Amino acid sequence: MSNGIPLAEALARYRPDAELGALPELTDADTLLNAHHPDHLRGSVVKLVVGANAGENCQRELANLLQSEAFIDEADLAGTPVTDIDVLVIGGGGAGCAAALMAAEKGARVLLATKLRLGDSNTVMAEGGIQAAIEPDDSVQRHIQDTLRGGHHAGDPALVSAMAGDGPEVLRWLIRQGMQFEQTPSGDLHTRRAGGMSTARLVHCRDYTGLEMMRVLREAVIQHRSIEVWEQSPAVELLSNETGQKCVGAVLTSLLDGQLRIVRTRSVILATGGLGRLHLNGFPTSNHLGATGDGLVLAYRIGARLRELDSFQYHPTGLLHPTHLAGKLVTEGVRAAGALLVNGVGHRFIDELLPRDIVCSAILRECAEGRGIRIDDQRVGVWLDTPRLERANPGLLEKQFPNLMTRTRVSGIDPRIEPLLVHPTLHYQNGGAVIDANGATTVPGLYAVGEVAGGIHGRNRIMGNALLEIISFGRRAGIAATANRDRGPKKVTLEHVNRLRRALTLADMPLTRRAPQVLPDYAAGGVWNR
Amino acid sequence: MSTSTNEGKQPDVTLTINGLAVKANEGMTLVEAAWHAGVPRVTSVGCMEGVCGSCRVMLRRGKEVTVDLACQTFVENDIEVVFLPPASAPRHHYEIDDFKDGWDIHARFHDIFPEASRCRHCHGCDNACPKGITVENGVALADAGRYREAGEAFFECIMCELCDVACPELIAPAHVGLFSRRITAHFHLRPPNLIHRLEELRQERQGATLKESDEE
Repeated sequence: MSNGIPLAEALARYRPDAELGALPELTDADTLLNAHHPDHLRGSVVKLVVGANAGENCQRELANLLQSEAFIDEADLAGTPVTDIDVLVIGGGGAGCAAALMAAEKGARVLLATKLRLGDSNTVMAEGGIQAAIEPDDSVQRHIQDTLRGGHHAGDPALVSAMAGDGPEVLRWLIRQGMQFEQTPSGDLHTRRAGGMSTARLVHCRDYTGLEMMRVLREAVIQHRSIEVWEQSPAVELLSNETGQKCVGAVLTSLLDGQLRIVRTRSVILATGGLGRLHLNGFPTSNHLGATGDGLVLAYRIGARLRELDSFQYHPTGLLHPTHLAGKLVTEGVRAAGALLVNGVGHRFIDELLPRDIVCSAILRECAEGRGIRIDDQRVGVWLDTPRLERANPGLLEKQFPNLMTRTRVSGIDPRIEPLLVHPTLHYQNGGAVIDANGATTVPGLYAVGEVAGGIHGRNRIMGNALLEIISFGRRAGIAATANRDRGPKKVTLEHVNRLRRALTLADMPLTRRAPQVLPDYAAGGVWNR
Repeated sequence: MSTSTNEGKQPDVTLTINGLAVKANEGMTLVEAAWHAGVPRVTSVGCMEGVCGSCRVMLRRGKEVTVDLACQTFVENDIEVVFLPPASAPRHHYEIDDFKDGWDIHARFHDIFPEASRCRHCHGCDNACPKGITVENGVALADAGRYREAGEAFFECIMCELCDVACPELIAPAHVGLFSRRITAHFHLRPPNLIHRLEELRQERQGATLKESDEE
């Protein structure tokens, strides 16, 4: 992409007090989405050939991973040390911690295995807040409606209603664990209204909501007597019973020594998060290093049905510059506080608080049609006009967005003086494993919670529902997984791996690619010996 | 892709990472430099925006030794960088559900964190903190029972636990800070709007149950 206005020229022209012109009316959102949203890019979607979703649409890069070979076969299991446990939780973000804590509270012995460090997750980076219908003019019903509407009515009403109904109780549980929230002078929880909400419903802890949640849950898990934590221990495969129909454990490896370990259990809870680090369609991502879609790959191989595999959220305002923060977010809260989007010719081009998929498409349209601001051949973006916001509300950025200010200060940028160059960034996996209200997948013994699960956000998530979802369904799955009191597995096998390999062979698909990915290629040097 | 920085440019900075001499481009963070050079066993990286506390590094510039986060430290000539191993398991144990009475908390704090009263004001924790938190003062506030203020001092804490490593008295300041924050929420955060909604939902449920039993 070589068109666009050169950075120096755009900077010279930029003024925080310039006249922006009238906002052009958005006549047809669907046409805009179809023309510019990355989900609709030509060649972005293919049909799956094997597995529970055969014949359905799936994003191309993800399809390659779902239809691939496992890393291990039966020979690798011989002589591998075995650990027996009641409940295995895979993933150490907010969902995994909530599931582990609830399972432990219900009396289970829990093993929580996580790829990186406990707490390394997208949860820790969530800035905006958590939705819960607690204001007098609000109701659980309205929360359900907003969520379904925001997701273009593709969500499962039963799951949405379970989550929204849990909202107030989730806040109480978090406070009991020791999480703080912003309060009004009279002691109420402070709420904000953000994109897609019909009323104020976003509860927050300044712009560090996810960090506050994660450090509290992390500490609670570390301190719990009945929870054992294995860090740097990614799962490379699930284990099934003799018929390959039930999940009875997992095989973990270690990033430190490469040693495989078998865990036998009655229930496995997948809480592995999303896949931003696959950089779908070549996009940068806001996600943490471990977000490589491992949970989807493992669930699909053991036979679980997935959904909305062609729908991803690209957050409108990822940083384009400085390079080392490329793809990292400027929270939607900044736009909610009044910051405008301005193109290279100094015009506004979209209502900044429309749903994320529409704002994202509008930015991509400006860039594609030559009204973006160009750093070099690869990087084109638009302004997020923070100096104008600061001019209208002196001190607001420093007071309400300490996280943004700290991050940019380290890089020698002052958003109060310079506008930020932004471009959409791969942010969230809207779909995932099909689950019921207990987080149970279509495979007995296997649960999925958090970003790896699907059905709640439809085809577009609204702000603040991710932090609610992870706790709501994390707790539900923790309880349900513990209620399973069968005698545990007699035999652990890789029957499901053989089944998928047969299907791939019959379909004449290559068996050369192996998955899960575990780490992005650029970070895998020397740590993960395939 | 986010890491393809300055492709084609000749790397012009030389430094040492985990004992290996590497070359990097100006403007790269230490994380990017480690990947760029293929330094093995750099797995303690998480968010890359300074909030997860994973990428702890020890830095040596001549005779000066400091600690920081690799994702927010940029390459410089001749700097020696060592990625630190993950923190060891905490030595101080408590479960928040074991606390029944807020009046006992100060005594419990001293049981759990006996070292907190023995701060020798060496500023090791303050110097180690990559977020500029006044750690020492935060610990003193907790030791004086001022948990709300102590917790506020630790507001930007990312649990990298570099202060724990720096403390010669093994106080574990990061955990003192988190204890202070958790206790404050656990015992004092009682928001009327939330409590009222919970009560409404309870009554609705009770109504539904009563109605069901009437119909039977």
